[in-house]
Amino acid sequence: MQFGIFSVGDVTPDPTTGREPTERERIKAMVAIALKAEEVGLDVFATGEHHNPPFVPSSPTTMLGYIAARTEKLVLSTSTTLITTNDPVKIAEDYAMLQHLADGRVDLMMGRGNTGPVYPWFGQDIRQGINLAVENYALLHRLWREDVVTWEGKFRTPLQSFTSTPRPLDGVAPFVWHGSIRSPEIAEQAAYYGDGFFHNNIFWPADHTKKMIELYRERYAHYGHGTAEQAIVGLGGQVFMRANSQDAVREFRPYFDNAPVYGHGPSLEEFTEQTPLTVGSPQQVIEKTLAFREYAGDYQRQLFLMDHAGLPLKTVLEQLDLLGEQVVPVLREEFAKNRPADVPDAPTHAARVAAAKEEVSRV
Amino acid sequence: MKLVVVSAGLSVPSSTRLLGDRLAAATAGRAGGSVDVRVVELRDLAVEIAHNLTNGFPGPALSAAIDDVTSADGLIVVTPVFSASYSGLFKSFFDVLDQGVLAGKPVLIAATGGSGRHSLVLEHAVRPLFAYLRAVVVPTGVYAASEDWGAEGLAERVDRAAGELAALLPAPVAAPVSSSAPEAAVPAQPAAGRADRPIAGQAAQPVAGRPDQPIAGRADGFHVVPFEEQLAALRP
Repeated sequence: MQFGIFSVGDVTPDPTTGREPTERERIKAMVAIALKAEEVGLDVFATGEHHNPPFVPSSPTTMLGYIAARTEKLVLSTSTTLITTNDPVKIAEDYAMLQHLADGRVDLMMGRGNTGPVYPWFGQDIRQGINLAVENYALLHRLWREDVVTWEGKFRTPLQSFTSTPRPLDGVAPFVWHGSIRSPEIAEQAAYYGDGFFHNNIFWPADHTKKMIELYRERYAHYGHGTAEQAIVGLGGQVFMRANSQDAVREFRPYFDNAPVYGHGPSLEEFTEQTPLTVGSPQQVIEKTLAFREYAGDYQRQLFLMDHAGLPLKTVLEQLDLLGEQVVPVLREEFAKNRPADVPDAPTHAARVAAAKEEVSRV
Repeated sequence: MKLVVVSAGLSVPSSTRLLGDRLAAATAGRAGGSVDVRVVELRDLAVEIAHNLTNGFPGPALSAAIDDVTSADGLIVVTPVFSASYSGLFKSFFDVLDQGVLAGKPVLIAATGGSGRHSLVLEHAVRPLFAYLRAVVVPTGVYAASEDWGAEGLAERVDRAAGELAALLPAPVAAPVSSSAPEAAVPAQPAAGRADRPIAGQAAQPVAGRPDQPIAGRADGFHVVPFEEQLAALRP
């Protein structure tokens, strides 16, 4: 099982000081956070993609390429890559390039994005969101698997004899997750291709996340990729920790109360009760995270949101120390217990290359 | 059969609730058979509705109310008139429902106000809202001004609207003769004067037979279009 962090990349004033980082500071902080993730033994760093303030990460492969050069083991991913408004041809090229530079330490998560005007800014129509995700990914999937593609669709210029370069590293496309909070069409899409399904698991109650994952697992089996238990599931999560849980609540409350997404709404206590947010001791985080398995089944990837709502870099780095030293080692050990042998590990480039070779030798 | 009243009254006791109860009793009386009447008091859900607007998901009490409205065979919706329209709380509740939840659902609209001068609120605000939501709104809307509670006429309007709503509800179903043949259930005799009731066979399955319901037979409520169909629909 893989553990990591995902960043939204918001530039938010620290509500306790009123100070807002510059874009440069925030971008450099994201890099520092990624490097720290590797240092404390996490497996994955994923960056969001946004095209409007107050967010900085509009160019994920630039950032991930830079991080790739400064890390050894970290898997670089996205949360999410906008499959709706990006040209699938450019996604194919950008991420294949990143795959080579990072020696295969790359996967990505497709998402539709939730900011209305981004669609028209990129020449698209939000009412076609699902259809764009379906058609664009169908093309992307071919571009990474067929050397020469002739294609025609609804949303982009036709392609005649097009070859996307560079070809994927070792002839194996980056692994793809499909992220969706509430669209069954996306769970269905992930199942159809045998790709991974990621639920951000932050804003919604557990029973809803459970239903989405069960749908994906059922359809994954339906399409013959394996049993429902073998489907590739990722979950988000959101935590804030201090050794003493009361300290965690006291320190995090102003950030929660003023957070851009859920601030000025329900209380920290209500949100903690209704969603997977945990604010407390590392032990409480361990307990709540282990309970995810009760509704998601044995799963492959756990990402935590750690750097948002104006938390200072220093605090985030302390959080990552706690996560890497006290939480993740216990989670690795506990999640491994009673895990059926036929539940696959999280996909890696090396494993996918080996599987592809085995496939060839069997034929 | 399930009849749900959505009341946006704010005071306790509330004339909006009073009107809702009266319409529900009249409708249940006209419908015959056993009618399960539930009342959703939006006042009690005000905070959860506000949180749903900011967070995107309903809290437990709101979620239960949404389930009641979704599974209702008929709805009676009652709002006080605020600033020449439905109240903001009333509108916010219908704003947080998923798309299509009210499609094809029989709805009786009603409102209360301080004077009769706002009675057309039902026609210029409430009826267009439910038309947009693709509900089937009965012709008679019931408006009760303060003075109506001490005058003649309200009872007749309540009765007429209740009759119109009852006519759109599924026919009452008699208890099955034996548990091995539930499909043999026979609707009770239609009440006199309900010439426009739906065909009994369809009425026995109100959810499956209704157009645009997002349920499509799955227990989890998801509507799943097989991926090949979705992809094929996009082929030029």
